[in-house]
Amino acid sequence: MGDFLQYVEMDSFLHKLDPRTKFSFFIVMSVLTSFCKSGVALLFLFVVFTAIWIISHIGKYMIELLKKVKVLLLFIFLLWLILGAFMVNDGPTIYRTTYTLLGNGYTLSLDWFDLYKGAVFAMRVFLMISVFYTVILSTNFSQIILGLRSWRVPYAVAFGIGLVFQIIPIIIQEFSTIIEAQSSRGLEVDKCSAISKIKNYIIISMPLLFRVLGKGHSISLAMHYYKLDFKTKRTSYKMIKASYLDAIFVSVTVISTVFTVVLQLKYYIPL
Amino acid sequence: MSFTVNSISYKYSSDSNLVLKNVSFNIKEGQVTAIVGPSGSGKSTLVSILSGVIPTLIDSGEYEGSFDVEEKVNISVVSQSPENQLFGYGVEDAISFGIENMGISNEEIIESVEYVLDLLNIQHLRKRSVATLSGGQRQAVCIASVLAMRPDILIMDEPVSSLDPNGKEMIQYVLNQLRESGQSTVIVDNNLAWCSDIVDHVIGLIDGEVVFDDDKNKFFDDFKIQEKLGVTIPQEVEIYRELSNRIKGLNKFYTIDDAKREIGKLIGKENGCLPIDSILLKSEEILVAEGISKTFLDGFRALIDVDAEFEKGKVISILGQNGSGKTTFVKHLNGLLSPTKGTIRYKGIETTGKSVAQISKDIILVFQHPEHMLFEETVYQELTFCARAQGIEFNEEEALDILRYYDLLEYKEELPVNLSMGQKHLLTILSVFLSSAEVVILDEPTLGMDLHLKNKLEDIIKRFTSQGKTMIIISHEIPLVFKISDHILILNEGVKLAQDSKQRLANSDDIFESINIALPPVVILSKYFGFSHVCSDTNSFVQEVIDRLV
Repeated sequence: MGDFLQYVEMDSFLHKLDPRTKFSFFIVMSVLTSFCKSGVALLFLFVVFTAIWIISHIGKYMIELLKKVKVLLLFIFLLWLILGAFMVNDGPTIYRTTYTLLGNGYTLSLDWFDLYKGAVFAMRVFLMISVFYTVILSTNFSQIILGLRSWRVPYAVAFGIGLVFQIIPIIIQEFSTIIEAQSSRGLEVDKCSAISKIKNYIIISMPLLFRVLGKGHSISLAMHYYKLDFKTKRTSYKMIKASYLDAIFVSVTVISTVFTVVLQLKYYIPL
Repeated sequence: MSFTVNSISYKYSSDSNLVLKNVSFNIKEGQVTAIVGPSGSGKSTLVSILSGVIPTLIDSGEYEGSFDVEEKVNISVVSQSPENQLFGYGVEDAISFGIENMGISNEEIIESVEYVLDLLNIQHLRKRSVATLSGGQRQAVCIASVLAMRPDILIMDEPVSSLDPNGKEMIQYVLNQLRESGQSTVIVDNNLAWCSDIVDHVIGLIDGEVVFDDDKNKFFDDFKIQEKLGVTIPQEVEIYRELSNRIKGLNKFYTIDDAKREIGKLIGKENGCLPIDSILLKSEEILVAEGISKTFLDGFRALIDVDAEFEKGKVISILGQNGSGKTTFVKHLNGLLSPTKGTIRYKGIETTGKSVAQISKDIILVFQHPEHMLFEETVYQELTFCARAQGIEFNEEEALDILRYYDLLEYKEELPVNLSMGQKHLLTILSVFLSSAEVVILDEPTLGMDLHLKNKLEDIIKRFTSQGKTMIIISHEIPLVFKISDHILILNEGVKLAQDSKQRLANSDDIFESINIALPPVVILSKYFGFSHVCSDTNSFVQEVIDRLV
C-alpha cells in the first residue's frame, strides 16, 4: 500500500470532522493509553476504536498498520513475557522450574499473568500508534496547519509541522526511486549478503541526501517567491468550524474516556 | 513602462569567476520575454537576481549594477518543478498560500482565487488534491498561485521541460491567456520550439554576457546566433534556415502553412498517394515482451496485454502521454516490476527470477532525473560505476577518452552533482558505455539539455547502435524521436496502439490524432508534397526539396 502513513482522501465521518476535534481526540486518547494499564479498559478502548474505524471505512488501513507493526508488538509481548518469567506470580502457572547458577537457586516461572502483562503492553503500544494514525489518515497537512493556527500555535510552528507531513511522503518516494535507479545500474540490493546490503544502502543514502538538500533549497526559494514572512500577520482563505458531527464525536470521546477510567479503577491488576 | 536591468555583474564569491558580466536589458511591460542561452550561461543566476533571491537569501556574492524597479513592484517565479513549490494539500490551499502571506482580507483572497481559476480555465481542478494532478495541471496551479499575488513580472523557469504534449498544450494556453491579459512574463528556457508563437522578445546569454537582445523575428532571422546559443527552435524555422542557405531569395516562413505556401512555389504539390516504404530488413529479436499486463494493488490497470519486440542494434522509441504506461512498461523490461500476467524474454530466455542488478548486465535503464543516480565523489568514478558494479573490466584510457570526446575531461575530478543538469544527464548515460548491457533504456534523456548536449546525445545513440546495442527511448520530443528512431511503439492508457517503423507510422495520422500528439513538421510537409518517402529530419527534407528543384 503506497499511501501507508499518509493522509488518505476519503469522504468519511472522520474526514468531515474539524481538525481541532481530532487533535483533542488524539491528546485525550494518548494520555489515556499512557496511564491506563487495565486489560479490560484497554480492550474497551480497542472496541471503541474499532467501531470508529469501521464507521469511517478505514479498517483496511488499520489492518495494514497492524501488519507493519506486528514485529514490534511481538517483540514487546515477548520482552514482558521473558521479564515476567523471572518473577513468580500468584495465580495459575503454565510452566515452572528451578535451577542453580553459580551456587544460587533461581525459579523460572511462566504464568498466565505474564501472558496477560505482555498482551496489555503490546495493546497499549498499538493503541498509541493507531490513535496517531487515525488522525494522520483523516487530516491533511493544510487542515493540520489550519487547526493548529486556530489554537493560537505560532504560524512558524504550525507551518513547520505541516511541512513535515508534506515532505515525508516525498522523501519516501525519492528513496524508493533511488533504490530503483541504482539497482537498474547494477547495484545489487536484493540477492546479496546482509553486509553487502547494508553497504549498498549506505551508497543509496548519498543521492538521497543530495535530493533532500535540493528539496530544502527549492522550498526555501518557494517561501521567498511566496513572500512568506513569519513576522507578518497572515490571513486565511479557508475557515474551519465545528458541526453536529463534531458534537457527536466529542460526546463519544467523553463517554468512552469516563468508561475507560471507571474500568481502569475497577479492574486494574497491579502489573 | 519597462523594467531595466542595469549593468549587472555577479560572482558567487570573491575568488570565483564572474557569472554575469555587465548584463543590461529591458523587460517590456505586457510582453513575453524569453531569456535563452546554453547550460552554464548564467540564466539561473539572473533569475535569482531578478526575483530578489540574490541578495536577500544569498548574500555572500559580489554584486554590481542594479535592477531598476520600484520597491512595491512584485516579481514572482514559477520554478520548473512545481512539486517543490506548491504548499498546500488541495488546489485551493496551494493557490491561496501566497496571497494569505500578503495579509489581505478573506474577501480579497476569495476574489483573487476566483480570478486566477477563471483566467487559466482551471475551475474544474479546484477541489482536487495537488498530488493527483498531472504535470501540466500542477504547473498551471503553480502559475495560478503566483498570479493570484498579482505580480508585475512573472518569471517562468523552463516551465514545460518535464511535461508531455498535453501538458505543453495546457501551458501554451495559459501563456496565451496571460499575454492577452497584459501580464509581463519572462520565460527562461533554451527550447523555443513550444513557445515561439507566444514570445515577443528574446535575450541571449553566453558566458554571462548578453549577446542578443531584440524581437523574436530578428532572432529567428539570425541563424548564427541561434546556433551559438544552442537554442532549440521550431522545426519550421530550422527548415527555413537550412533551405535559405541553399536557395537564394526564399521568402521567410515560420509556420507549417507558410512553409507549404513558400516551398510549394518552388516545387509544386504532387498529388497521389504516398507509397509505403519497402519492408525493412528485420534484425534478430533480442528482447520480447509477451502479453504484459500489470494491475497494481489498488486495482489500477497500468498495462493491458502489451506485446512488443525489440530488434538488435535498432532504436525504438516509446510514445504516449503521461499515464499511458511507458515508464511502467520499461520497468518490466529490466525487472523493476513483475507483470501480473505475461513474460519478458531476453535472447529467448525468461528474465523471471533474476534480480534487477543481474538483469542490468543485459538490460540497463537510465532514469529521468540524474540526481537519483549520481553519488560518486568524482565524474570519473561515476563514469565507471556501472562497470564496477557489474564486475566488468575496463580500460582507464578508454574511460578518459569517453570523457574527452564528450567535453567532460576537464571535470573528471569534480563532484558530479556540481555539473549542469544537462551534463549530469549526459554523464549517467555515458556510464552505460563501460557496462556489458546489450539493451539500453533511456527515460526522457533530453531533460535539462541544450541543443549542443542534445547533439552529443544523438552521437552517443549512434555509437551505441554501431556497437550492436539496442536503444529503447522514452521521449516527448517528437521531432527528435522521428530523427533518431527506427521503430516507434505507441502506448495509450496501458494499451499498445501500434509498433512499426517510423515511416509506416508516419502515415497513421489517426493514431497520432487519437493520442493528441502532433507529427513533426518535416513529416507533415513530406506527406503534403507527396515525397517518395517520409523525411524524418530537417536535412533529409531539405535535400529532397533540392533534389526536386534539380
